[in-house]
Amino acid sequence: MGEAVYTNDFNFPGQLHAHVLRSPHAAAKIKSVDVSGAEKVSGVVRVMEGAEAAELLNPIPHYIDPAVFGGRSAKIRCLAKDHVWCFGQPVAVVVAEDKRTARYAASRIVVDYEVTTPVIDPEEAVKDGAPKVVPDWDANMIMQVPFANGDADAAFEAADRVIKTDVKVHRFSTQPIETRTYNAVYDAGTESVTLYGTVQNPHPLRNVLSKILRMPENKIRIHAPVIGGAFGMKMHGHPEEGLMCLLSKVTKRPVKWVEDREECLLIGAREQVHSVELAVKDDGTILGLRDHYIANTGAPSACPGWGMAFLTGLTMPGPYAVTDLDVMLSAVVTNKPSWNASRGYGKEVTALALELSIEHAARELGIDPVDIRMKNFIAKDQFPYDSPTGLIYDSGDYAGVLEKALEAVGYEDWKAQQAQARKEGRYIGIGIGYELTPEGGTLPGTMVAGYDSSSVRVGPDGSVRVLTGVTTPGSGNPTGIAQIVADELGVPLDSIEVVQGDTTTCPYGFGNSSGRSTIVGGGSAAKAAQEVRAKIIKVAAALLQAKDEDVTMVNGVISSKGGASIDLEEVCYACYTRAYDVASVIEPPLEATATFKPGLVRHTPNEKGQINPYPSYSNAAYVAISEVDVDTGQVKLLKFSAAHDCGKVINPILVEGQACGAIMFGIGGAMSENIEFDANGRQLTKNFMDYVMPRIGDMPHVALAHHDSPNPVTYMGLKGAGEAGVGGSAAAVVNSVNNALSSFGVMMTELPLTAPRVWAAIQEAKKSAGSQREGA
Amino acid sequence: MEDMLEDTVLVNLRINGKPHELEIPPHTSLLDLLRDDLNLTGTHMGCMTGHCGACTVSIDGRVAKSCITLAATLGRAKITTIEGLTKEDGTLSAVQHAFWDEAGFQCAFCAPGMLLCTSELLEGNPDPTDEDIEKALAGNLCRCTGYQSIRRAVKAAIASNKQAAE
Repeated sequence: MGEAVYTNDFNFPGQLHAHVLRSPHAAAKIKSVDVSGAEKVSGVVRVMEGAEAAELLNPIPHYIDPAVFGGRSAKIRCLAKDHVWCFGQPVAVVVAEDKRTARYAASRIVVDYEVTTPVIDPEEAVKDGAPKVVPDWDANMIMQVPFANGDADAAFEAADRVIKTDVKVHRFSTQPIETRTYNAVYDAGTESVTLYGTVQNPHPLRNVLSKILRMPENKIRIHAPVIGGAFGMKMHGHPEEGLMCLLSKVTKRPVKWVEDREECLLIGAREQVHSVELAVKDDGTILGLRDHYIANTGAPSACPGWGMAFLTGLTMPGPYAVTDLDVMLSAVVTNKPSWNASRGYGKEVTALALELSIEHAARELGIDPVDIRMKNFIAKDQFPYDSPTGLIYDSGDYAGVLEKALEAVGYEDWKAQQAQARKEGRYIGIGIGYELTPEGGTLPGTMVAGYDSSSVRVGPDGSVRVLTGVTTPGSGNPTGIAQIVADELGVPLDSIEVVQGDTTTCPYGFGNSSGRSTIVGGGSAAKAAQEVRAKIIKVAAALLQAKDEDVTMVNGVISSKGGASIDLEEVCYACYTRAYDVASVIEPPLEATATFKPGLVRHTPNEKGQINPYPSYSNAAYVAISEVDVDTGQVKLLKFSAAHDCGKVINPILVEGQACGAIMFGIGGAMSENIEFDANGRQLTKNFMDYVMPRIGDMPHVALAHHDSPNPVTYMGLKGAGEAGVGGSAAAVVNSVNNALSSFGVMMTELPLTAPRVWAAIQEAKKSAGSQREGA
Repeated sequence: MEDMLEDTVLVNLRINGKPHELEIPPHTSLLDLLRDDLNLTGTHMGCMTGHCGACTVSIDGRVAKSCITLAATLGRAKITTIEGLTKEDGTLSAVQHAFWDEAGFQCAFCAPGMLLCTSELLEGNPDPTDEDIEKALAGNLCRCTGYQSIRRAVKAAIASNKQAAE
């Protein structure tokens, strides 16, 4: 151990180090940039500012271009030119012999800014006369998208009551412990560049870099070594990717850049304001849903973060059988730093908006929170289910999943404990959250692809190498893929090596995103393994003088029905060396490449213009038990359960790891993680003292149950296990706190629930209860 | 300022049992010395403010954050890094084994902190409580596991140590 090699562990002869100078203002015109002070520092090799970079580099192509979906698209530069549109935007870069010199020299660059008024609040940004974030846009709006179906007005007309809930989800992000790192190595001899980097999607990045650098793709190699967590943050579009390649080209030396934590915290996500209205009958039946929501996506970026806002609306109304829908997205730009993709990819906000609203409705109607959900779930015999936004849910049993989560936490027992605690003056709460997290997403006309490819190669010695287009963010998917190949081939697990993340050796692939890696990486590797197995069996049959169908291969031992057996290695050697003899029945070598393309996806719009970008609809229920100290507002989580339908489970330990990790994101987001700004749009959250992530003592034990309803269109019924957990668990935590404080009438729907906020809500509720008594 | 960058000091350290004499700029962190000067890249940079614990090493038998420790202040200290946990013959320590068996890591970037802090805990206390475990690992952030498999790994290490002692 300690031997895993991460990007920052690579150093090459002549290694240089880069430091990026960033804007201290949220909005400003750049009047001039004077780099001469930096150039004078001993050890500095090259300094570059925005005007020169704009000459040498094309703008960064968007990962998901809003223009493809009818939205506004901005030109994204690696370094700001003429103006800056957010705090932390790269303005200049210094390359030096060591990182400290680069950092020091950057402080000697003089930028003359003319500071302008920033727009930080998304509701202010859409008002007439608001300052423009992108100078040549006519509004601060990427796009407005309606997700409408049926007749919402009629549903609201027919309702006994309308329950309105304002849900405010703050800015929080993924923060892998390994920050982004790039090391570009230009080779003047072949006029090619190799980028070693923390990259989730090497092949698509190669395409993007070819456009930025004006080089053909076959002169660019991306190598993504072991990655120390990604969660979406290492999806590309970042300015430093192209910049380091250029700097290596102009200095003719390797150039490395390591993001510091303060820079990593600049990458935002998730910030949305919802005003959910539920049209309900007195018995809890939900007739209609209205939600016009605003996403503050920050300044434009080439990264795929803004798409999260779209997914939030697309996955409404989650697991509930509501068909009359009036949902409208406003994806707004402001002078906050940009978003990037974050685990959950917008679906976590869907879960928060829905689950907090349903809890609110249950309280208002005096219905049990379990009953109201059971009443409105899509029934298990309704699959495949056409959702009102055009999605096709493959399979599910939502009621069954919730029952398992309740059982796993000991729901009835906790209800008794809650009642007992209340008598003792303690405040225990029980909260439920449900979430639907479609995985394996694919968008037409973008590099977000639904399929992927793998090659399986068996050598003359019988050892197996799997080369796959999917990559791992450190989640263990190579283990899952190796297991699948071991089973399909019939060889021992330790004879298999999985190779990922290298554009030169691996088949063209789309990396990791959207919980897809085991679905398509595993699925394609299985198909390739089956082809190779057939070849091995044929030659083995010839050697054993048996029929193909009478030969079996289990754990590397090949035997015939007649009882004769032969070593895998002997057969493989024969496959390569006896091509004119026993191996003439096959075409060497023992290699196959296959692609897995799951069904159910529909990119041709239906009559309503809707597409279904997902093959797979994982879902999960969460139950949180918390105790609130009403004197301090502090919340302690006592117990947690999750029941997860991620289809067939390949490796329970990997799935547990994914689930518990995602739940921690939800708990952290609900309780403490928050990126804050001052009134001028300067980011205040700079390190892990400010950005408070759960530590070991903050995490309760998670009782995990599986409830598998296999996906009919994927290999072995896989659904994907990477994304579920963030929103449902956050909702369960918030609901548990509100449940604990229900006797005060507290209903908090603005996150995060920090102790001061919880305390203030209790005081507020006490005060208003007191004034009501006085009034009466 | 330019001149300051060129000052150096001489430090003597024993790292993973081997003596080292190094001339370094006075502002060099122990983390940079290990990674950049000695190529001991198992120690990781996560935050440079001492909050995440990916840079954890053991200094004279106590765990410390190497990113906020100036190497020049460590005259003749004995330092163990994650590379030093593995035995000379290449076999894993009981703690390393337990983390491996129980999938205590996903991306493993936090591994130095988790392994060194657990090792220190078990050296001083063969039978730690849950609270002791939480205290020992309070300085180490993991972003992948939700800590569930880490707790299980620590408990497996305790059990295996007990078994070995019997």
